Amino acid sequence: MAELVQKRRKDWLIESPGPSQVRFYVRQTIIYGLLIGCAIIVLIPVIWMISTSLKTRDQLFTGKVEFVPDPAAPENYADVWEKLNSISPQMTFARILGNTLFITLLAMFGEIFSASLVAYGFSRFRWRGRDTLFLIMLSTVMLPGIVTRVPAFLMWRDLKLINTYDPLTWPSLFAWGPLYVFLMRQFFLSVPTEIEEAAIIDGANTAQVYWYVMLPLIRPVLLAIAVLSFQANWNNFQSPLLYLTASERFPLALAVRFFDQSLSKEAPQWNYMMAMSTMMAAPVLAIYFLAQRQFIEGINFGAVKG
Amino acid sequence: MESALDSYLPTLGRYVLVAIGLLVLMYVVYRVQLWFGIKREAATGRALVMPWIIGFLVFNLFPIGASLYLSFTEYNLFKPPEWVGTDNYKEIFSLKAAKLDDPDQRSREVLPRRYREVWRVGSYVVGAKEEDFWISMKFTLTYAVLTIPLGLMGSLGVAMLLNQRVKGLSLWRVLFYTPSILPVVATALLWRWMFSQNGIINTIFDPIYDLLSMEIPRWFTEPKMARPAFLIISMWGVFGANSVILLAGLKGIPQELYEAAALDGAGEWRKFRHITIPMLSPSLFYILVVSTIAALQVFELAAFIPTSKEVGTFINWLIYREAFDTRHMGMASAMAWILTLVILAFTALIFRSSQAWVFYQGTREEKN
Repeated sequence: MAELVQKRRKDWLIESPGPSQVRFYVRQTIIYGLLIGCAIIVLIPVIWMISTSLKTRDQLFTGKVEFVPDPAAPENYADVWEKLNSISPQMTFARILGNTLFITLLAMFGEIFSASLVAYGFSRFRWRGRDTLFLIMLSTVMLPGIVTRVPAFLMWRDLKLINTYDPLTWPSLFAWGPLYVFLMRQFFLSVPTEIEEAAIIDGANTAQVYWYVMLPLIRPVLLAIAVLSFQANWNNFQSPLLYLTASERFPLALAVRFFDQSLSKEAPQWNYMMAMSTMMAAPVLAIYFLAQRQFIEGINFGAVKG
Repeated sequence: MESALDSYLPTLGRYVLVAIGLLVLMYVVYRVQLWFGIKREAATGRALVMPWIIGFLVFNLFPIGASLYLSFTEYNLFKPPEWVGTDNYKEIFSLKAAKLDDPDQRSREVLPRRYREVWRVGSYVVGAKEEDFWISMKFTLTYAVLTIPLGLMGSLGVAMLLNQRVKGLSLWRVLFYTPSILPVVATALLWRWMFSQNGIINTIFDPIYDLLSMEIPRWFTEPKMARPAFLIISMWGVFGANSVILLAGLKGIPQELYEAAALDGAGEWRKFRHITIPMLSPSLFYILVVSTIAALQVFELAAFIPTSKEVGTFINWLIYREAFDTRHMGMASAMAWILTLVILAFTALIFRSSQAWVFYQGTREEKN
């Protein structure tokens, strides 16, 4: 600590003459005070969500702010599924979770696989029209999804694939996320060409260079994109809402809406709705906390170098 | 009883087929190019981007064209689309202004038939045939114009706090990023609950309402209260994520610049204005573009938080309902096109202005 103060003092000498230790501590107090204030603002809603999910019906509207319900009602998490079963017998927890994972994993794999191939093609090879096409790809970010939604819906309807998982899964193989391509291209560009050349001299073909040399090198960004893509597909609400109609095929996001629109329509059952929300948020949060370091670094790499 | 596998396996089968088909196609494209005498390097590059090219044609370009065509038709899914020319656009842009004789007068008395009030400025009132569209457009645009600069300033503030060599930096970062990781579905419901009549926010502020002798607000049904409520929600959602990006930008500013400025006697404000802002401008620009596009396309919040007709809703949700609830596919396509043009106009504006304020360091390697 003494060292730190000494170091700070040296910095201060440059910034303003004759700083006192008091001033340093006042400054630190203000900084940490503000940070803690922000943290409280961020955390209170999340804590309130979990707290509500553990309350009984009577504890919801007491007119007091109680963060720790007494007694707690963890049975809400099971009851909410029983309630859903009572109106739609096939909406079991296992089924809905399975649906969500099925959609999320297929879309995630497709996104990562195709984005890495496309990014590789856009970064490590020179060919005419490359930069123009890349610009076109980036500019598709600006297109609002709603403008393609009606014709896309009609296309899937003509293919008789409405109420299947097809529209939510295999189009990911066509690199539908330009931002992922952009992020990976940035990483590929930072790899020195000598590495590739050495592999080629050793007799590796393009597929081998990609698989054994390039992919391992960009592992940090692959992990960041995996987290990002898992989160985006797990949380996705818009496309399932459009394409899935049978309640037993719903992912979690639609199950939450189903509960909201049916059982919670007249008198909102906030304890159950927050239990579902917490269930939906928990896996995403867990993965994020596990991979946070690589995730934040990956995101920053794209934004700063962009 | 449908078993889960019955619904998963057909999709899985088609997924694998598409993946194999795509790889085969990439190989064919590569071979064909070689046959035409194109160099290996170029042929490989083009073959590799094939997945995106096909995706772009099938899932972007074709639907955009089709949507433009549909916007000139009337189409309800059951009968084939019927060409109506520019009728949809004319209907949307049917706007009429009228003068009120006194401020308390009902707007219906001065507006023509089928026109309903959208704006009221002084003693003038503007009415539209598609008043829901305009009320929601107004709501979305004011939301965007407020939330983008406020969010940017807030996240810049937090980023600068985090840049003060604080202890446990990674912990703060993880914490502040959390709201943007949470499912919007969950946070939308959560905020609806918190802002509800008996929710935590009204409970906490109850003494203040008493003090100001105001009634307990109905946040999402009163036009005056809805906008601040959505503003709070959006700020909570994004400021952490953006501040993490800005922090990385701040860390990249060479310390020598500040030291040199300090020796020249520059104060905190001048250092901020003439070093921090220019050096940070690429990150600010990135966030500005991304948050503009996002703010004009809010969907989940609107889907989970019902608002009153007077408040309006987010335009993206309104268009979705026009298309898939009332099945006015033609009208919805026209509205979607207007939204597209609004987004393009906003981004074009940001890109044009960026030449004046976004500063790329001269020493940067050439952008590829």
